[in-house]
Amino acid sequence: MNIPQRKVALACAVTALAATALAGCASGSDTPPSSGNKSLEIVYWNYGPAAESGNKATADSFMASHADVKVTLTPVTGENWGTYYANVATLIASGKRPDLMVISGEGAQFVHANNLVQPINAYLDKDAGAKAIVDDIAKGLIDGFTVKGDVVTLTYGWNDMVVYYNTDVFKKAGVEPPSADWTWDDFKATAKKLTADTNNDGKPDQYGFTWASNEIFPGIMPWVANAGGNLTSDDVCTATADTPQVNKAVTFLNDLIKEGIAPAPMPMSDVFTRFQNGQVAMFGAGRWPIATFLPAGFKAFDIQLYPKGDTYKTVFGGAGYPILKSSQNPDLAWEYQKFTVSDEIEKQYVGTPDKPGDSIPSRRSVAETISKVGVPPANSDLYYDSIDKYPTLVPYPAPAKYSTFESTVLRHLQQIFAAETPVADGLKSLQSELSGIVTC
Amino acid sequence: MTTSSTLRPGAGDHAVADPGPPAPRTRRGDGPAALAFLTPSILMFLVFVLAPTVGVLGLSFYNWNLLSDGSFVGLDNFDRLLHDERLLGVYGSTTYMALAILAVNVVAGLLLAVLLETRMPRWLRGFFRLSFLFPFVVSASAVALIWRFLLNKDLGLVNYLLGLAHIDRIDWLGSSAFAPVSVIIVNSWKTIGFSILVYIAGLQSIPNQLREAAIVDGAGAWTRFWRITFPLLSPTIFFLVVINTINSFQIFAEPRVLTQGGPGDSSRTIVEYLYDRAFGDFDLGYASAIGITFALVLVVLTAIQFWFSRRWTHYS
Repeated sequence: MNIPQRKVALACAVTALAATALAGCASGSDTPPSSGNKSLEIVYWNYGPAAESGNKATADSFMASHADVKVTLTPVTGENWGTYYANVATLIASGKRPDLMVISGEGAQFVHANNLVQPINAYLDKDAGAKAIVDDIAKGLIDGFTVKGDVVTLTYGWNDMVVYYNTDVFKKAGVEPPSADWTWDDFKATAKKLTADTNNDGKPDQYGFTWASNEIFPGIMPWVANAGGNLTSDDVCTATADTPQVNKAVTFLNDLIKEGIAPAPMPMSDVFTRFQNGQVAMFGAGRWPIATFLPAGFKAFDIQLYPKGDTYKTVFGGAGYPILKSSQNPDLAWEYQKFTVSDEIEKQYVGTPDKPGDSIPSRRSVAETISKVGVPPANSDLYYDSIDKYPTLVPYPAPAKYSTFESTVLRHLQQIFAAETPVADGLKSLQSELSGIVTC
Repeated sequence: MTTSSTLRPGAGDHAVADPGPPAPRTRRGDGPAALAFLTPSILMFLVFVLAPTVGVLGLSFYNWNLLSDGSFVGLDNFDRLLHDERLLGVYGSTTYMALAILAVNVVAGLLLAVLLETRMPRWLRGFFRLSFLFPFVVSASAVALIWRFLLNKDLGLVNYLLGLAHIDRIDWLGSSAFAPVSVIIVNSWKTIGFSILVYIAGLQSIPNQLREAAIVDGAGAWTRFWRITFPLLSPTIFFLVVINTINSFQIFAEPRVLTQGGPGDSSRTIVEYLYDRAFGDFDLGYASAIGITFALVLVVLTAIQFWFSRRWTHYS
């Protein structure tokens, strides 16, 4: 058949144009569910494969037990919790109306201050099954998600800050594993023994300890808490970054660098690698490193509490699925939130020795099974004990502008740890800048 | 001896003597077809360039945090620019890094391209070309992640190698002096392949007869470069200056991943700064004002480059 080329090309161009237009329309056809249907839309932080599989498994299980409900998951990316919240805010601004969103403890103030969340106090009062659930969850995990008397969400999983130590490096250096009652002096002496110049070039290439430079939670907060300080007042309305306690904690860490016991701070992902290959003997984090270590076959590690300073307080943070005010099915959303702390789902966070969970189940009865199932490390019972048997840092310093707050703290700490600003001067300028960020 | 006018840019250029293929004729009735072909591009431009630009311009007059209704604040956001103590410093660090990256791309890129055009085995030329171009096609974040590992002060490979040469450890990522240098190195390493590629295309378009005639006339390598290669390459250089200026002023991933903009603001770029204002502070209006003024700065810079280019760029 003899069709003029120009006409064919013209038809293709028109088709392309129509396709473009239709694609544009398709992306904008996000109609909210009608009030009569039984559907839920859930937004979660897609920080990696574990987040995707975990959320999908929970949603699939819920739909299996609620045959008439359709759950739609919306993964949202972000380099940390702060940017995730920013991206969710963008999503909401574009017209999306999710029923639930995953938040961490740092986000509780954010969602509350922005009037995004529907507190669950009424559900906790009227739901017959709620009391048994709450009784099985450490009080700190409930308090951590309570803002001005409003319970923002139940926590399905959480992490406390503990010290990870490389057992092979300890053995090689002939150093005894630390005990729970160790002090800052003990810690420093231990870290010093683990620092070594293995290639005899006159400079260490194996260090006793390091901390994450890109997050304050596993970075400086355990040290600040154990010095008896915090970065904000108890009502999270005023910055307290230049107190003697904070100064003491930052000076201690700074001295570790100056004395060559700790390398220049690095982001958490780099810390994982350095720890596994023995270049760093100890670091601090929650339970999430085991989701990287164990599948990679690395098991030469154990955990211990952070060393005691002037006091001891467990620094922790959790995650939950608060019900958003935009929800068209709040009762169903509550059922979903409750489902996320059911035995069935909580067991996913226990995991198996080869495929461990990346956080601690919030239900005590389930968390106690971690060591019984045999998921490393050997001292796994410490995870839940740290919140049940020891004092905790409440509130976590997470003002509504958490992302700005954290980046400001990190920016000033960078200068201190790079020896470009004395500790006192650095904290003074940090306090000055935070005073405009931490407000109520 | 040939007079100097023979070697003047454009004189004797084969392209000038050759009228080239005849220009395509425009026929009546082509309009609808042309419009149909152009419409997808125009639509993309409208939706993804013009509309967001207009939107950002509008937002710059509002106070809006993404989650609540915005309020009109007139020129307040632009007034805040004048009182933002950090902004000038960030402009300074951005300019420092951008100009250095521009210089590396334009100068070192030309040098490397000329070297790659010298006689060498075909496989070796291919190897070098691939080596230089490869980083350009890899994601900036992945590149920065690897470099972050290499540049670690106490445990990185770079300082280990320097140590073998008895050079003390450099705090590549943690010191205000070296953090921007690291960003410059990593970004230049990633992008120079593109400049080399464009330079090679420009070099290969210069007719060999000109160089051969110059050799016959007794012109040395340096004279040939300055009197033939450089003038005929000037449109290519101009193109790379403009493109690299715009790109290097807009770097984001490298400082974000390598140094998080620090220490302090020593390696922070304007794009990173406005991103933090928008998605850290949820201050969309102010971030938009920064974006609008920054775009104007780039437009003015490009206009100046175009104006200056008339003095040294030769298109024939």
